[in-house]
Amino acid sequence: MIEVQDVYKRYHGPFGGDWVLKGVDFTIPGNVSVGIVGRNGAGKSTLLRLIGGMDAPDKGKITHHCRVSWPIGLGGGFQGSMTGRQNVKFVARIHGGNDRIPELIQKVQDFAEIGKAFDQPVKTYSSGMRSRLAFGLSLAFDFDVYLSDEATAVGDIAFKKKATKAFHDRVGKASIIMVSHQEGMLKDLCQAGVLLESGSAIWFDDINDAIKQYHESLGK
Amino acid sequence: MAEVLVRNPWRVTAHVWHALFMREALARVTADRIAWFWLMAEPIAHVMLLVWVRTLIGHARLIPGADFVPWLVVGVTTFILFRNQMNRGMNAISANRALFAYRQVHPADTLFVRSGLEGVLSTIVMLVLIIVFTLLGQNLIPNNSLYVIGLWCMVWLFGLGAGLVFSVVVTVLPELQKFISMIMFPLYFLSGIIIPVQYFPQDIRYYLLFNPVLHLIENIRFGFFEGYRLVDGVNLLYPTWWILGALVLGLLLQVRYKFRLLAQ
Repeated sequence: MIEVQDVYKRYHGPFGGDWVLKGVDFTIPGNVSVGIVGRNGAGKSTLLRLIGGMDAPDKGKITHHCRVSWPIGLGGGFQGSMTGRQNVKFVARIHGGNDRIPELIQKVQDFAEIGKAFDQPVKTYSSGMRSRLAFGLSLAFDFDVYLSDEATAVGDIAFKKKATKAFHDRVGKASIIMVSHQEGMLKDLCQAGVLLESGSAIWFDDINDAIKQYHESLGK
Repeated sequence: MAEVLVRNPWRVTAHVWHALFMREALARVTADRIAWFWLMAEPIAHVMLLVWVRTLIGHARLIPGADFVPWLVVGVTTFILFRNQMNRGMNAISANRALFAYRQVHPADTLFVRSGLEGVLSTIVMLVLIIVFTLLGQNLIPNNSLYVIGLWCMVWLFGLGAGLVFSVVVTVLPELQKFISMIMFPLYFLSGIIIPVQYFPQDIRYYLLFNPVLHLIENIRFGFFEGYRLVDGVNLLYPTWWILGALVLGLLLQVRYKFRLLAQ
């Protein structure tokens, strides 16, 4: 269960910054997968970063009583100068999996299927390869909740199928909170939805309603 | 499936430090094709070059209680320890930015790990230099080894403290980076590394003695050379306050500005 209680967030740049989230408040029950929708700049990634504990809200509180992954996304998570293998080792080590490194590497390689590139620096990867590696890496660990920030957007069909299957296999054991503009993927993987609009969040028990409302808000 | 265990915070930190250490060490050794060679050769070459230049152009070669070359080697190596700790610590955060995606990794962790790694490297360089210059017939065996080791650790800690402080400063106020590198340059001449502090007149020395690095370097020389005369006013207490101050301030800033340091 993840509780987001009256969360406010703004970014303090050198020239000030406007509020990104203004009083976001909802509770995600255990084992419910949630899709977060909203237009660009609505604060979806910010919300995910806050849930992942990478940033702190200016006001309000986020509590979770389960194991939450890091936000799997296009941007961060990998040190570009390190190879895929070294990045996997690093993540395994910080999660205390030092003695299971060979097993974890095998698992990531099986999922990512990027072949020899696994031993090349990550900065040489295409965005699809990066997201394959990122997804495979997080799936190698047993989290209760996976956070995905557009991680599937650049993948090919085979990869999307694989990712979807991985989550279908885990229904009941793990859930996903995902930010995405791919509505098929959202409908397939999520039950509930959150619509972010001008700083506040609206909770929908059904992802289809959230997507419908999102379309209506765009039409205005 | 690999299980994610609930670990106690100290274990998490230990795991993070291990992971960061492996990453930093690997990055240092594999940066380019001769990185492993430069690791040792660069600081040694730096010291050797300075010694050579200074002996060529030097006219102030008479140091009370110490031979000139060993005196110079001790000063330069100690100063490089401080400067490396501070500079590499300052850049630790930007170099590891991508890894802050994992909430287990705190910005301060990267500094501690770097400081440890760089400190060990500097220590090995110092030992190599002692061996080399002793074989060359210079007297570079510490007279009071324990005292030297203690001072070496103090310089190490001071560099770490300065790194902790300045890493926050340059992240929160990036404009200050330029000023910091400007201040570092004259510090080379004002810390009595190549110009003996004994050669300055009394009233200028008064101002030079505000510099804690000078106190540390003079003291470590005192530990090296039997009969080395410290200038009036050089003591251990003054730099100790600076070290404690820098460490406490640095840690406080790291706590206060943690999320500012994490932000992309």
